[in-house]
Amino acid sequence: MITQILTAAKDLGFLYDLVIIGAGPAGLYGHRTVGLAAKLQKLNNIINQNPKEVSMKGKSLWLGLLMAVLMVGGSIPGWAQDRAIKVRLTGSLPSLDWGTTSNVRDQKVWHQMYEGLYGLDEGTKTHYPELADKVDLSKDKLVYTCHLRPGVKFQNGEPLKASDVVFSYERAMKNPSFGYITSHITNVAAVNDSTVKFTLDQPYYPIWFTFFSVKIMSEKEVRSQGDKFGTILNKAGTGPYFASSYTVASGLKLEAFKGYWRGVPAIRSVEYIVIPDDSSALIAFQNHELDYLEDVPATAWKEVSAYAAPNAKMVKGNNVMFMAVNYLSTAHKVLASLKVREAMFYAVNKKDINNAVCEGYGSETDQYFPTEYVTATPVSGFKTYPFNPGLSKKLLAEAGYPNGVDVGTILIYGTATSFNARMGEVLQANFAEVGIKAQLYVAEMAIITPRIYKLDYDICVWNGIGNFDFDTIGTRVSSKSQGLYVIKYKDGPFNWQRIEKLLDLGASTSDVTKRTAYYTELWSIVMDSATMLPCIHRPVGIVWSKSLDIGQPVPTFYKIRTFTWN
Amino acid sequence: MYRYVIKRILFLIPTVLGVVFILLLTMNFTPGDPARALLGDSAPQADIMALDHKLGYDLPFTQKYVNYIKNMVVHQDFGVSYFTKQSVFDEIWPRYLVTLKLAFLGVFLSAVMGIPLGVYSAVRQYSMWDTIPSLMAFLLAAVPAFVLGMIFLFYFSLKLNWLPSYGIGTWQHYLMPALAISLPPAAMNLRFTKSSMLESVRQDYVRTARAKGASERVVIWKHALMNALLPVVTQIGLSLGALIAGAVVAEKLFSIPGIGSLIVDRISYKDEPVIIAGTILIAICFTIVMLIVDLIYAWIDPRIRAKYANKKG
Repeated sequence: MITQILTAAKDLGFLYDLVIIGAGPAGLYGHRTVGLAAKLQKLNNIINQNPKEVSMKGKSLWLGLLMAVLMVGGSIPGWAQDRAIKVRLTGSLPSLDWGTTSNVRDQKVWHQMYEGLYGLDEGTKTHYPELADKVDLSKDKLVYTCHLRPGVKFQNGEPLKASDVVFSYERAMKNPSFGYITSHITNVAAVNDSTVKFTLDQPYYPIWFTFFSVKIMSEKEVRSQGDKFGTILNKAGTGPYFASSYTVASGLKLEAFKGYWRGVPAIRSVEYIVIPDDSSALIAFQNHELDYLEDVPATAWKEVSAYAAPNAKMVKGNNVMFMAVNYLSTAHKVLASLKVREAMFYAVNKKDINNAVCEGYGSETDQYFPTEYVTATPVSGFKTYPFNPGLSKKLLAEAGYPNGVDVGTILIYGTATSFNARMGEVLQANFAEVGIKAQLYVAEMAIITPRIYKLDYDICVWNGIGNFDFDTIGTRVSSKSQGLYVIKYKDGPFNWQRIEKLLDLGASTSDVTKRTAYYTELWSIVMDSATMLPCIHRPVGIVWSKSLDIGQPVPTFYKIRTFTWN
Repeated sequence: MYRYVIKRILFLIPTVLGVVFILLLTMNFTPGDPARALLGDSAPQADIMALDHKLGYDLPFTQKYVNYIKNMVVHQDFGVSYFTKQSVFDEIWPRYLVTLKLAFLGVFLSAVMGIPLGVYSAVRQYSMWDTIPSLMAFLLAAVPAFVLGMIFLFYFSLKLNWLPSYGIGTWQHYLMPALAISLPPAAMNLRFTKSSMLESVRQDYVRTARAKGASERVVIWKHALMNALLPVVTQIGLSLGALIAGAVVAEKLFSIPGIGSLIVDRISYKDEPVIIAGTILIAICFTIVMLIVDLIYAWIDPRIRAKYANKKG
């Protein structure tokens, strides 16, 4: 009798373990789900650990019960492949219209819903035809004829047509946020239902980036929603997901598009959740409330990566933090002196910046763009400024300032604890060590940006992000740049005409070797001018759930359609 | 009394007009513009100015003020957000309700925790019932809400896995943020109640009540507390304003989509319609709360009630 009671008690204990495992996804611990394989492994361990203590009858009975629970649980939403992947948003998504802003943070989300004529593989630095099946280039390199991929449908069921491409491009060309990538297109027209012709004003190889960036939308869907497009749910994209619920405040949910031309993605639903605070996001990840988290703060990387190991990777970010020195400053004319600017550059210790900004996880650099992501980036063959305080002091003395000099104010946008502010503090300290005096001015972007536009500054800390072709340097150095360019080279004591010519030459050919050579000469002129000093590429810390397989982590445009549950 | 209430409600009109005036004036003098924030730094200056013009941002201050008041009064229209292009009211109303829920829960918890402990602390002065709550009050008054919030997140969410760490939806989502924002004011309520009660229990009417044979419970809770509550009620009313403002910290930490975090986020975009509408709603709420506090005074203190009655309402 006692033996029977004990046996029954052990069986009940065994049952308890099985129930907890089986109740994982839909029960009390609903927000802490465990993959099916992990559950079965756990079950196996328990059975093996209790071979004698649990009766055979009990084992088979409870095993049968568990199988029933698992089979029922398989049909509960949130289980296995129906389970939503939860991803953090650092701020509100302003709209479901991808053309609302060129902000990379928002583009990453729209990237899951919309596609362009070209796709981009950040990991291999390659672009490939996506909605375009084949692209022909005319002999004069001014006309691109895109043949659309057959069989592609929008999420609303409508087939992709050339008129949709024309509509999408005409819309983008009117959008000032995208002028920097559409300015070379003079005309886009439908040849027939499956062919579109783009006419450019000059040969422009980096048009592939335009083909990637401009997403194709269903003209019918956009027009039917009118002014409300972007504020309400739509099925205007061809991408693997469409929004099934959206609030600016909390985020959005995406559902897999069953008619997606590549086939239904393995992960059927995505939940983007707005979590502004970094600490809260880290806790949510460790609490299994998030499955994929990027931009893990460097200060927390050691702990979080140890927790998530091996599903943690710190990749080099596609960004650059640089210092710009305004040789045209009217408040501090001393900056017109090349020797003073060179002295400032040699005084900068990029390792200190790396330690201050990213705990040493960043990459010190002499290049404006990281070579891992950006085509035709110069690697060598231009002047660099390795940290050399002795040479800095010598140059200052040669410039007539043996006892040091006041170079004015370092303008920084952001908060007092932001990356930019930390870099500014290091610059100020480095300068002080060689006798260069500089003040810091940290303020909101709204205050700083107008001053940069008007070139009303001495020195500034600035950032570049999300560039994929070296041609984009034109937004910073070309006189034809419409937006903010930080340094004005035109009419300056530099070979600015050659810079503009090299930009055109670099864009005119697809030969990477030739392009790199042109851009190397261009970058050499810029570095010789001692006006822009790239300092570091910040890293992107990425962690993901143990039940998730994301393939190769990339810093910017991850593709959830390539993710799978284990 | 009714006339007094109506008068106070009508006072909302100059309040709203004043809030709109001050906000528009302040934003008129602060640098930046919404078009630059929306279009990014690659957009030409001409396009930025064109968008500012389209949004009506570059209108003169007086014209903006008149337009805003006219739209609000005549069309009941708070405008469209520069940032999301959605109707301002549709955007802020759900978030306003979330913040109100959180703030009122915070006030309720701070009162429920602070007042009884304050009473016990006063009645059992110099004992353990006094020392421990007073010490806790001292510590909690010094600890900011966001620190408490982080501690709660760490223990209740991460370590114990009892409560979710972000969002809204169930009562579990509100528990940690409400506690975080209610504990510092609860500490203040405790100290206010204690000092007020200490004064009250020494009054002659309390001695008289005891002499009449009233039980200690009736003496404390009916006679002493009722007279001690007036400053406490004022403190609670004022703390509601502080909680609505302080809720922005909890909203950011716990990723709660409230109106405080909305206003703070939109400041960098100079999203005037949202900032003004959100602030108006907060001001209205605060005014109504102060009115309710005044009405509670009348309910607690019959002398105030009589004064209103003598004035024929």
